[in-house]
Amino acid sequence: MTKAPVRSFSILLVLLAMVVAVDALDLQRQPAAQVAAAPGVLPPVAKDSVKFLVIGDSGTGDRAQIETAQQMWRAHSVFPYEFAIMLGDNMYGSERPQDYARKFEVPFKPLLDAKIEFYASLGNHDDPNQMYYKPFGMGGKRFYTYQKNDVRFFALDSNYMDKDQQRWLEQELSQSKSKWKIAYFHHPIYSSGGRHGSELDLRSIVEPLFIKYALNVAIAGHEHFYERLKPQKGIHYFTAGGSAKLRSGDIIATGMTAKGFDTDQSFMMIEIDGDALHFQTISRRGRLIDSGTITRQASGGTS
Amino acid sequence: MTILRSALLVLLATFAVACNRVDSAETKAAADTADTDRATNRSSPSPLPATTAAPDGQPVTPAILAFHKHLEAYMTVHKEADGKVPSLKRTDDPVEISTREKGLAEMIMTLRAGAQEGVVFAPDVQTHFRTIITEDFAKRSLADRRALVHELPKGAKVSVNVIYPTTIPLLTFPAALLQKLPDLPPELEYRIVGRHLLLRDVKANLIVDVLRDAIPTT
Repeated sequence: MTKAPVRSFSILLVLLAMVVAVDALDLQRQPAAQVAAAPGVLPPVAKDSVKFLVIGDSGTGDRAQIETAQQMWRAHSVFPYEFAIMLGDNMYGSERPQDYARKFEVPFKPLLDAKIEFYASLGNHDDPNQMYYKPFGMGGKRFYTYQKNDVRFFALDSNYMDKDQQRWLEQELSQSKSKWKIAYFHHPIYSSGGRHGSELDLRSIVEPLFIKYALNVAIAGHEHFYERLKPQKGIHYFTAGGSAKLRSGDIIATGMTAKGFDTDQSFMMIEIDGDALHFQTISRRGRLIDSGTITRQASGGTS
Repeated sequence: MTILRSALLVLLATFAVACNRVDSAETKAAADTADTDRATNRSSPSPLPATTAAPDGQPVTPAILAFHKHLEAYMTVHKEADGKVPSLKRTDDPVEISTREKGLAEMIMTLRAGAQEGVVFAPDVQTHFRTIITEDFAKRSLADRRALVHELPKGAKVSVNVIYPTTIPLLTFPAALLQKLPDLPPELEYRIVGRHLLLRDVKANLIVDVLRDAIPTT
């Protein structure tokens, strides 16, 4: 190799390193309050509504997670969600103390600093002992339920749907008098994912309960893309497992998809106001991918 | 910061184009030289549950009773170990979770030193488990079986009384199969790795026992 190409290559490397360094500084600065609002984000329709963020399969600690998390925070300036639900795979790979920092505390620092509460569910990459980590809001339980105004949330452990959890789910669903019932868990029971697809075993166990006790909406992750499904037996299903990992081009034709997005990372934001549920899905780059309004079913599923 | 980044990117792109021209010229010159060489030198050359009953509707067989007896023996050890180390509790500190999980695991490993495979999945219960699993898989469609096998963590080496490898995802346990297996106390769970059925201590992330080759190949 001659000296000229070596010199050119060296200068290219230096310039590239400078760009990366500027990016890193930019990421660290994370000027939450100063960042311009994401152009594609829609504002909430009501002041006292229930507003929350949906994060799925986020725990990589890589650049895609950081950029998507930044976009989540930018979106907050327009759509001030009050809490966040996590659909599992909160941490990929090792779960050492430094991984909790790299894969959760650092990327979501602006949200944590803003006192936004997280309510996590467990994915297949998660050690169940995450339930003891207070910032995940699990209260020391693998599956749990909580209430936000008119909405009852059910965070399930779809990795291990044993009889105890089934009994618990049936009891909680049957006792709930909430206007809205929303369940979230890692594995989608309806999905157009080419790699995973619908989790049929899980569906055979939980769907009858969802229908019997009038669940309104179910949100899952696991598939690294966004999919809004056509209502199945009267219940609305979303898959939103692309908040860090992406399985590009994985949505296949099943006839179940109302809207699919598998070309960039994404997250959802949901607002519930009376009988209306407004949803919007935003890409890592701040683009509005999907939005719409669901009117509460008269009696949940099958209607 | 954005302006600086943009400026750097423009500079980088401009320089890359310039370099490409120079490199192209140099490559062409090198090719010309090579052609000349070819012309001139052709020779260059990757606690037990509240109920330990059999699954609903199934009779309590001698095998089930034996399994519960083996489970109780393990749980005695688990409780003893849990009483000797600080318990896992809700905390903001991941170091505490990691330390207590590891502490419990190490205490159990010490109390079970020398534990062998087949202590819980003992020979008197192995046939029972293998039959349930085989029958479950036989009722599944080929596509379902393939999907399950496809999801199985592969290539992991598992053995009794060691920590479950933290880098291997916990395979979603087939929910319908779980309904057919004997109940476990909340401290324990079934897991599948490769073709093996594992009994895993949840709080300690410890492999309690392994039933090898219990999962059909397809």
